[in-house]
Formats: sequence, structure tokens, C-alpha cells
Amino acid sequence: MLRIESISVNLGKFSIRNISLEIKSNEYFIIIGPSGAGKTILLETIVGIHAPLSGMVWLDNKNITALSPHKRNIGMVYQDYMLFPHLSVEDNIAFGLKQKKVPREEQKKMVEECSDLLNISDLLSRFPVTLSGGEQQRIALARALVLKPELLLLDEPMNALDSCTRDRMRMELSRIRKLTGTTIIQITHHFDDVYTLADRIALMKDGEIVQVGEPENVFQHPSDTFVAEFLGIGNIIRGYGTRSGNLTEIKTTKGQVFYAASPVTGDVVATLHPEDVIISRAPFASSARNCMNGTVSELISSGSTIRVILDVGFSLMALLTRESCSELHLELGTKVFATFKASAVHLIPVS
Amino acid sequence: MRTFSLAITFLLFLFISLILLGLVFYSPLSVLAQSLTNPEIQFAVILSLVTSVISTIVCIVVAVPSSYALARYSFPGKWLVTLVLTLPLTLPPLVAGIALLLFFGTTPWGKALENAGFSVIFTPLGIIVAEVFVNLPFMIRIMRSAFSAVNPRFEYVAKTLGCTDTSAFLQVTLPMASHGLFAGAAITWSKSMGEFGAVLMLAGATTMRTETLPIALYLNISAGNLDLAVAAATILIVISLCTLCLVEYLEKDVNVF
Repeated sequence: MLRIESISVNLGKFSIRNISLEIKSNEYFIIIGPSGAGKTILLETIVGIHAPLSGMVWLDNKNITALSPHKRNIGMVYQDYMLFPHLSVEDNIAFGLKQKKVPREEQKKMVEECSDLLNISDLLSRFPVTLSGGEQQRIALARALVLKPELLLLDEPMNALDSCTRDRMRMELSRIRKLTGTTIIQITHHFDDVYTLADRIALMKDGEIVQVGEPENVFQHPSDTFVAEFLGIGNIIRGYGTRSGNLTEIKTTKGQVFYAASPVTGDVVATLHPEDVIISRAPFASSARNCMNGTVSELISSGSTIRVILDVGFSLMALLTRESCSELHLELGTKVFATFKASAVHLIPVS
Repeated sequence: MRTFSLAITFLLFLFISLILLGLVFYSPLSVLAQSLTNPEIQFAVILSLVTSVISTIVCIVVAVPSSYALARYSFPGKWLVTLVLTLPLTLPPLVAGIALLLFFGTTPWGKALENAGFSVIFTPLGIIVAEVFVNLPFMIRIMRSAFSAVNPRFEYVAKTLGCTDTSAFLQVTLPMASHGLFAGAAITWSKSMGEFGAVLMLAGATTMRTETLPIALYLNISAGNLDLAVAAATILIVISLCTLCLVEYLEKDVNVF
């Protein structure tokens, strides 16, 4: 779909070096990394604002490196929405259609369809300054989506929203993506976006890409200490939550069951810090709600600690000191019990 | 401090009001009305209007692209270019006028222009040239700050939505900077109406030929026709007042200097 081959861009203050990436059709790709890593420049280069010093950009096997932005059919939504303040909401959404000289009647129809999709039909005659952040965000999305872009780039689209609106917007993005089948690249600072939306993620630091992969994989196998420290949380488990007393019972896609102290139900992503997982040779009586048996599938040492990857039906990571590890005689294939509290499990709703 | 500063403010207000009202009401209203119908004053009004409107249009046409370049692009020697483009801002208009006179009167380029039919010395065309030269820096300064205030990402988004560079500028940046454009045009026009020093040097002060309102004021006061001079001055005061109100209304924080 999109292929970036060793792109370098230098804008003085910010630069990116030798970046190569491949985004698949229909993929939801998330780029994370500290600020100043060059994430926005990368998106702006993909969309054609900055000309790279070297390297090439391919879209559907067409070299678009030198193509001007207005011929690329790639949509872009910024963190601050960048709605044109002198135009009404309707004219903002129709802006791209007008450039393409779409007949007026058709413009109106497409704008209506798109605003129905995003539930903003009643805002069409208003002006951007009178709208809330969430509403502006929907309009910015509509303005890009109405052109049916091959690729949609989102630059921290939910950063300026409060956490409640952000949760709703996240579900909206996931719904839109399912409905339209648009390929999406998003920059974010929020791990909740990564857990719930991303098919694959890339980590950027100092203008370079440090690691690319599926989120579960990257979280469990960080390529270096920077990635490990930046990402932090190690376990991402997908499942379906139902209410069970005061807890939520989560059934994973492969059938295992565990409990979380959270009111969230339905399709969920559960996150769990590896240091909250206790490993023992035998089951023991404790206040922890979850105890699962499994086998050690991987041991990764990093400094004074060892990350133990267990196969408990799904892949579960625990963080142990070297001492504990040798006292328990952990080796590949060792049968162990993993215990963790329901309150250590954090649930994020997926639409 | 409160009493003191307020007292000074009100004293100044009274002082300025008295001076200006004293001028406007110097001659009885009937005399003022009569002076306003005087052919010389009417000629001056029309000449001032025509030259100032033309010079304002020229200023807009030149200042919009150059101030956009100063606001958006970086290039070697930008500080020097900025300095020279805005120097006439602090230059006394008389100095600007004499420099223009020497340029058009004594240099080969000036003579070539004259032979090509672009005759500016002691002509109405000279009035326009002098006004443009003196007022262009104001327009550039105002437009540069208006363009700088527009985040370039608006243009980026417009381009992803199908705009070329030019159409993104015309449909997004320029409308977003329109308050600055109107305020700048109003200030440029009002300054052109009142321009004296540079016009005097380049276009001269010929009755009924290069006689703009300020020149009419000057010629009539020199000849002792106080009523006509006051009439010209009154028109200039009314124009200043209207411009100031318009600018305040358009943009409270337009940066003139």
C-alpha cells in the first residue's frame, strides 16, 4: 500500500533520518515516540509537504516522491483540527470537493452522507469557533474522509480532547475504519490508542524508527532499553468482558478466563504490568483473584531483572529478579502458576 | 497614581480636542461650506482621492506577495532585505522625496523611464510614486504580521484537500489575513491622503496641477487664504477620524509599527 524507502528530511529544528516503513492496505498503523522525535515531519513528508533529501515514497506501487500534495489523495487531520475559520462547517467539509470541481448537487449529497456518518448533520450551518473540541475533531475527520482518501494520516488527533471525549472518539475512529476500510496512520501519545486501535506500531526516537511490529509483540519484546522504558506496560490481552458480581469476567479469544476489578464490559483490551504477576511452582491461597497455570516459553534477561514469558493459553509476561528466577529453577518448559490481582488488570473498552 | 495618570489622560484629551475643534470651528460654518465648494479645494479633493486610491491599490498588489515571502520563507540575507524594505518607515518623507527626485531626475534609469513615457517629476504621476514609496513599508509590515499569524498548517491541509500552492493562498491564507489587509489598506490610504513631504519634493506644489489636499493647505496658508487652508485641514481631520474608527473596528490588535 504505502512504502517508504530510506527517507531523510531536514527542516533545521527537526529532522528524520533514513526511515523505511511499509504500511499494508486496510491497516491501522500507530506511530509513538517522545516529542521532537520527528513524527509529524514523517506524516507531512508522506502527504507531500516536505520534499525528502533522499529516499522514495511509493503509494500502490506508484512513486509519489515528487508528486504535489493535491494529487496524492492522502488525507491529513492535525491535532488542532485546522478548520478554516472563515468558512462554515458545511463549506469546510465541502472544501476538497469544491477543489475537485464536483457538481454542487453532488457536493451537498456527499457532505450530508459524511456528516451523517460522523453525527454532525446539525452543525453544518455553524462556524468552527462556536464548536467544542470533539465537534471540531469530527468535522476535521469529515473534511478528510469526504474525499475517500486512500490513506488517512492523523497527527495526535485526540490530544486536545478531555479523556471522556477521547474514549468516545477512539470508538468512533474504530467504527469509521470498519465502515470505510480506510488505511490509517496515526501519531499518538496515548497507549490506550495503541492497545485498542493499532494493528501494528512503530516507535520513533530522534528522527529514527527504533522498532516496528504488532503491539503485543513489541511490548513483550522491546528491541532495546529505550523501547522497554518508553512502553512500560508489558501485557495486552484481548477478550470479552461480562459482569460477574463486583468484577468483570474476561474471556480471552482463546477461551481462558480471568477477572478484572473494572466496570467495563463488552469487547475489551486488558493491560497488566509484568511486575504485578507473581510466579510460583504450586498454587497458593491468597487474596489475588486470578491464578492460571502455564509453561515458561521464553526467558529474556535484561540487567538485574528477567522477563519471563508464560504460555497460559495466551502469552503472559512477568518480571522477576535474577534471584527469584534461580530459586524457582525456571527453565523453558517449566510448569508454573501465575497469580495476579483483579485490581491490577486495567480494562479499555473497544467499540 | 490612579488620580495622577487619569488627570494627565483627561488633560491630554481636552488639549487635543480643543486644538482640533478650534481648527474645525475657526471659520463660521457658512464660510466653511463655501470654501468646500471652491474649485481649487474640489480639485484637491478629487486629485487626492484618485492618487491615494491608485497608490493604495499599488501598495496592496506589491505588499501582499512580498510580505507573504517575508512571513513564510527563509532565504540568505533576509534580515537585510527586511531592513531595506521597511526603511522608508522611519525615513523622513522629505528625505524620501529628494532621493526619489534625484533618482528620477539625474540617473540614466530615471531618464530612460521618462523617455518611455513614465514621467514623474512635477506631475500627478509623481504624487502616486511618492505615496507608494513612503507608504509601502506600512502595508508590508502589517501584512507580514497578518500572514505570520496564520499557521502554515492551514495551507498544508488545504493542499491535501486538492489545492495548489496558489489556490491554498487565495482560498485560505488571504481570507484569514483579510482583517490585516483591510486595516493595512485603510491606514495606507489615509496616509496617502495626508502625504506632504515626499509629494512636495517629487511632484512639486503647482496650483490646480499637483495640488493635493495637504499641498492645497500649504499653498493657501502661504498665500494667506486662511479659510481655504482650514477647509482642506478639516477634510483631512475627518478622513483621519474615519480611518481610525474603521481600523479599530476591523482589528483591535493590528500591529502598525
